[in-house]
Amino acid sequence: MSRWFAVSASREIPRGHIAHTQLLGQELAVWRSASGELNAWENRCPHRGVRLTIGSCVGEELRCQYHAWRFASGSGQCTYIPAHPTQKPAATIRARAFPVREDGTFAWVNLAPEAAAAPPPDPGIARALRSMFVQAPVAELRAVLLGGYGQGSVTATDEYTLLGEPDLEFMLQPVSDRQAIVHARLRGHREGAERLAELRHHNALLSAVRDRAEAAA
Amino acid sequence: MITLYDYELSGNCYKVRLLLKMLQVPFTTRALDFHPAREHKSDWFLKLNPLGQLPVIDDDGLLLRDAQAILVYIASRYDDSGVWYPRQDAAALGRISQWLGFADSLTATAGAARLHDTLLQAADIVACRARAHSLLRILDEHLWFAEQEAAGWLCPAEHPSIADLACFPYVMLSEEGGISRLPYPAVRRWGDRVKRLPGFIPMSGIFPAPAA
Amino acid sequence: MLLGVPLTLHLVSEGAVHATGAVYEGQERLPHVQIRYGLVWLCLGIPARDIVDFPETRESDRIVCTGGSVAVAVSGLRAVENFLDLGHLAFVHAGYLGEEPHTEICAYRVEPLVDGGILATQCRVYQPRPSPMDSQGFDVDYVYAVRRPYSVVLFKANPVEKHRMDMIALLVQPVTEERCIAHVLMAYPPHNVDVASLRWFQQLIFGQDRPILENQVPKRLPLDPRAEISVRADSSSAHYRRWLASIGVRYGAIPVASA
Repeated sequence: MSRWFAVSASREIPRGHIAHTQLLGQELAVWRSASGELNAWENRCPHRGVRLTIGSCVGEELRCQYHAWRFASGSGQCTYIPAHPTQKPAATIRARAFPVREDGTFAWVNLAPEAAAAPPPDPGIARALRSMFVQAPVAELRAVLLGGYGQGSVTATDEYTLLGEPDLEFMLQPVSDRQAIVHARLRGHREGAERLAELRHHNALLSAVRDRAEAAA
Repeated sequence: MITLYDYELSGNCYKVRLLLKMLQVPFTTRALDFHPAREHKSDWFLKLNPLGQLPVIDDDGLLLRDAQAILVYIASRYDDSGVWYPRQDAAALGRISQWLGFADSLTATAGAARLHDTLLQAADIVACRARAHSLLRILDEHLWFAEQEAAGWLCPAEHPSIADLACFPYVMLSEEGGISRLPYPAVRRWGDRVKRLPGFIPMSGIFPAPAA
Repeated sequence: MLLGVPLTLHLVSEGAVHATGAVYEGQERLPHVQIRYGLVWLCLGIPARDIVDFPETRESDRIVCTGGSVAVAVSGLRAVENFLDLGHLAFVHAGYLGEEPHTEICAYRVEPLVDGGILATQCRVYQPRPSPMDSQGFDVDYVYAVRRPYSVVLFKANPVEKHRMDMIALLVQPVTEERCIAHVLMAYPPHNVDVASLRWFQQLIFGQDRPILENQVPKRLPLDPRAEISVRADSSSAHYRRWLASIGVRYGAIPVASA
């Protein structure tokens, strides 16, 4: 499916961090190199199938935990095999990299090998709320959100994007057939205690959405 | 010198080793044949700890059981800076105790699931995993706000406390009990922060620190 | 559970055991069962040959013990392959069975065993702490013999006796295609070792392998050489996979796709 999905708030993947997520059943290692480049890779070392999320980031490379093979940020090309330190790894040895973009608020992944179009545009100054992991199918989560959010109504832009009032945008991440994540962002600018109160307020609302979706599932 | 009655694969023994290393307190270990010989239930060990549980420490004759109690003692006795267990700060002590209790709940759920899945010990595995997930959900939410409001430790301070070390092992070992941490990204970032602390040591099942 | 068949073991007396409740191929059957080397052995069918022999366990001065059985959520074939693997020692077992910068795996020999299985010789790795009693590191010579699909034995140079080797056997119980129990049998020449420290060391090491094994995707071992990339250091793994394919092992494996 050639479509962009938000998989995390950008700021939640700091430099050197490897996040573990899943999109439509595809496990992903979403990681940021020391220089800040973001990668979304199939969560599997091509050597012995070990999840790359148990590995570590070393500068501009991700190092597998099992045999410390290193893979380059950007291309996924294997750069170093410690068992044969003097040999250059074959060009065919690479981690499978998916297209990934950032828009200022979120990291977006496309599972199609050649993703031409860009993800939806950044709506301007926006703050990510706390994403909510839901043990329910994405359709259930969508249905609950469309039933209303807090005091406001919600409308669907497409199957995985919804708009709330005021200035609220929800992006749904189908994790598996039975799990989903709702990411949300809010336009506007607040600081300090006001901002924290707002984050807590929305976290409570999204928790209620989650609980309803899980009860229905 | 402290003697730690130890089992390598115990998360509760590991948290004691971890704090001792971080504080650079010298200690020796006495390894018990926990599996398969169940030496922690042997007559000689029951005299040290009638509960038949690890860890136990002997600090020049002072005998202490219970991992959380041992962390409190070691931090109070050997951490001159007072950051790991701020004895003068009532609110901090209250908060830390709250998370020490949480750590016990993790042992009883995620820890029990791990013993079931690795050493084939009896447990209601479905209930253990479900309860562990509900604890991890609480932890993830707490840590996400801790990142927004403070330095991202369990208690709001610049420096981590023994609360972080008490909860760390059975969170990080949860997958050995079939409890995926994929739904808990804030817990994952906290785990990285703990691993980057000076003096951090890994244990079997917990990988070493990622590069900064 | 063995090969997906649940059953109950009854210890009748020290050294005698029987198994009940095993239902397979449509009826309840009595599996063949016996105790050897301190482990219970089961055969659901008619045993075609005896239990794999470890003559070292009969050398009277050796310390012979089990290591403490550990369950792992992965195919038993993956567990055997990991036991044969040299390249991970410097990383997964850093500070014990290897360490950086000693990461290079030099060429070693792999050949078929006469009775089936494979033999890997001339393996040499620098180990800072090769066994519980060694405080000094040295270049350790290894010999591996895979004697059954789920039974592999490792002989390691002993630091005291040059002509005798430490024996560590990994005997894997395939619980299902994607779960196994690793049983370890050890026979060490009697120099500064005791059962408790051997078990401590073995469980520490296996405890380091376990999270790696449980993070292998897929859980079953792919036998198709195109499924996972191998390099020269993986020679024993490549031979093991080829041998499994040649004798038709399917349980816990992903067979070679027909072209």
